[in-house]
Amino acid sequence: MEKASEKVRNIGISAHIDSGKTTLTERILFYSKRIHAIHDVKGKDGVGATMDSMELEKERGITIASAATYCEWREHEINIIDTPGHVDFTIEVERALKVLDGAILVLCSVGGVQSQSITVDQQMKRYKVPCLAFINKCDRSGANPSRVIEQLKNKLGHNTVVMQIPIGLEADFEGVVDLISMKAVYFDGINGEIVRVEDIPENLLSEIAEKREELIDVASMFSDELMEAALEDNVTEELIVSAVRKATISREMTPVFMGSAYKNKGIQPILDAVTNFLPSPDEVENHALDPSNNEAEVILCNDSQKPLVAYAFKIEEGQYGQLTYVRVYQGMLEKGDTIFNVRTGKKVKIGRLARMHANQMEEIGKISAGYIGALFGIDCASGDTFVSKGINFTMTSMFIPNPVISLAIIPRDSTAEVNMSKALNRFSKEDPTFKTYVSEETGDTIISGMGELHLEVYVERMRREYNAEVTTGTPTVSYRETITRLAEFNYTHKKQTGGAGQFGRIAGYMEPITEEEFVFENKITGGSIPTQFISACEKGFRKCFEKGPKMEFPVTGIKIVINDGQSHSVDSSDMAFYAAARGAFREGYAKAKPVIHEPIMKVVVETPIEYQGAVMGSLNQRRGIIVASQDEGYMCAIEVQVPLSEMFGYSTVLRSLTQGKAQFTMEFHIYKRVPVLIAEELAKKAKKD
Amino acid sequence: MLKKELLFRNPLRLMEHKTEDVLQSGGFGAVLARSGVGKTALLVQLAMDSLLRNKNVLHISLNDSVKKVCLWYEEVFRNIADQNNIRQIEQLWEAIVPHRLIMTFKVDTFSVPKLKERMTDLIEQNIFLPQVMLIDGLPFDKDTKKALTELKKLAESRFMYIWFTVRTHRHDEYDPDGMPDSLLHLADLFDVIVHLQPEGKEIHVKTLKGVPLACDCPELILDPSTMLVKG
Repeated sequence: MEKASEKVRNIGISAHIDSGKTTLTERILFYSKRIHAIHDVKGKDGVGATMDSMELEKERGITIASAATYCEWREHEINIIDTPGHVDFTIEVERALKVLDGAILVLCSVGGVQSQSITVDQQMKRYKVPCLAFINKCDRSGANPSRVIEQLKNKLGHNTVVMQIPIGLEADFEGVVDLISMKAVYFDGINGEIVRVEDIPENLLSEIAEKREELIDVASMFSDELMEAALEDNVTEELIVSAVRKATISREMTPVFMGSAYKNKGIQPILDAVTNFLPSPDEVENHALDPSNNEAEVILCNDSQKPLVAYAFKIEEGQYGQLTYVRVYQGMLEKGDTIFNVRTGKKVKIGRLARMHANQMEEIGKISAGYIGALFGIDCASGDTFVSKGINFTMTSMFIPNPVISLAIIPRDSTAEVNMSKALNRFSKEDPTFKTYVSEETGDTIISGMGELHLEVYVERMRREYNAEVTTGTPTVSYRETITRLAEFNYTHKKQTGGAGQFGRIAGYMEPITEEEFVFENKITGGSIPTQFISACEKGFRKCFEKGPKMEFPVTGIKIVINDGQSHSVDSSDMAFYAAARGAFREGYAKAKPVIHEPIMKVVVETPIEYQGAVMGSLNQRRGIIVASQDEGYMCAIEVQVPLSEMFGYSTVLRSLTQGKAQFTMEFHIYKRVPVLIAEELAKKAKKD
Repeated sequence: MLKKELLFRNPLRLMEHKTEDVLQSGGFGAVLARSGVGKTALLVQLAMDSLLRNKNVLHISLNDSVKKVCLWYEEVFRNIADQNNIRQIEQLWEAIVPHRLIMTFKVDTFSVPKLKERMTDLIEQNIFLPQVMLIDGLPFDKDTKKALTELKKLAESRFMYIWFTVRTHRHDEYDPDGMPDSLLHLADLFDVIVHLQPEGKEIHVKTLKGVPLACDCPELILDPSTMLVKG
């Protein structure tokens, strides 16, 4: 039974890898009675946490796919999107974040805010997702929640407000004191399912009084009523809750909670907090784009009576065909309805609707505005928008970067070949940053993506999920060619071999541009090239961009202008002008000082201070430009720009340099010119091949 | 070409001897102002001026995160580019970034020996050889003299000069030359001291010590909308 939408919460659990978010999700599902036993992520029982539906994730203890699941808590319906924790899969994180109304940012009380928490936090900022912070692993030795709160303030710039005080820490961690109700909360029973509320332990009284005052101080900035009540000394729980809620939803405050998911402590209070402080779909403004009106923004209304707008944020290939996770922003999806896919323009009939709980599902009849659910057996790609007839909105098109690294894969045998193509088909539908094609020269299948690990994970998944054994080549960087100056061309294509000849002349110039990859401008006056051949000219030029004349890398960043030409009444044809354009391109390109560009990555290494000199040295050797270093007491974050070609195998190098204590994240930054020496090496290598 | 032109147009030149630096190696400069007036903005412009002359600038911030410092640079750079109608700003930006290194420290854990250690790491491995150092946010209190003396030695041995920001306070008292009390006992360490003084809607850049402005030069003013110095 669906609840009224003010009782709905669509939340995500975002965090750094290994900070325990899968365990937290597992416990949430247990306490909300969606599952009846608890398993561990790296469990000995071989069952694994419920949200990690993929084999590989179970083994590595990480979460790659954002499975959606739902549970009920205190008459609220909570949809949870389990977001991936690794930066190489950010497209999935971003898609998941788009459909969320709020999030729990999980932090490790020992590790604190790490480089990846920063990435995840930035994404949340970008999508304006309000969040609660949950400081996990308070039972571990070295747990220091106050340090993590400081980091949240300083590193991530959150206006944090402490909602709980831990009772004991590390091995003595027993429970928490709730600063709103001013009660101590303990978690009894084998699985912590019995919540015992008691009076605050004497030894904590003074600290609690101080923290509560702080809480009221901060919260009263957002509520005049609370401020008045504070002055008159009759603050009520409701007043605090409503002030904190208001500030959290507007992203002006981050309430901080703590506990230990593994030890089953502090989970129920965070669920209460989700219902108390995170917004319902009604309280969030969502936008779509109107392609017929120059992609102007349209505000969507969380109303089931309005025409449908739904967003497919994730697809999965299950036993019974494709499963498409959707969020309905407006209108309602009902069994038997006919809807339209905006991207393809195709009509789609809804067969079955389901609500997912990791690997199990429950069939439902409809999905109303503000809800998350899944469609069965519908052919679409993730990121597609579905609408009802008559409207043509699309959810914000997200920035999708071009892949920067490629890898050749060769199937072991014919079975593997069949399975591999199935797998590749699905992966490229799921993840737009993952591309695949067959190389014309070698006939090999090439996969390309955003980093070494990104591709590695897909190769692993092919092996495990599709039983496709493949051997991989060495990864290659996606270089590009471009020109550095303006050059003119004036080329005549002429062929007479008996029968109808070919004739076409094209003149104009090409110049470097930075904003776009390819621009074609027709400045021909007086019909020196008849209009019907112009598109053939454009095609001819465009074809040349696929493979540059210099080193056969794709060409980008050139504007072609044609301003003169000549045609023949009999011998000119589309073919002739197509060939003339290719000749003209080669002529101009040779004069335009072509250069090679390589992808430069933004790398952030987090390392204990004592290794920072060695780490900087290792990055410097890799042609890295050190941009900044941020000293955080014990740890230090070094930000560097490094060419991707130098980063192969860096994780091993870093591990051995720092005894495994450092870690790094990498994302694409910019394409930059390759230094002359390296370009020469590349040319030599190309010759050899 | 582009760089030279920008340099020529930079009103900061007025503060310095045409093309030479106002500070020599081992020299100290200070930018004084109350909080929020524009110390960091001026500091970043001084840095930008050095960067455009291909000098390596080590920017040390004790208050702000790397992200915030980067934002300052981007903002100042964009405003300079806008004012001068520079088109290919990306290329120019990419050309100057390698000359800049930002280091941030927590103000309570910052110490000169620590900085020295970091610099040795950078210099010995030939990663970055700073020629100009900027220190933003060093607290000027009773212990500062020792730190400044150590920094002076460091600057001299590395042939670089250092600009500091100094935060003044409402309750500060000033001597007849406009020097705040808190800096009086340290003033002899500095070669140049400028004070940012808000007057009405404008912020005046006043030289308290060092090279006075040439008489025919108009007074320097910090434009509060762009935070850029204008002549």
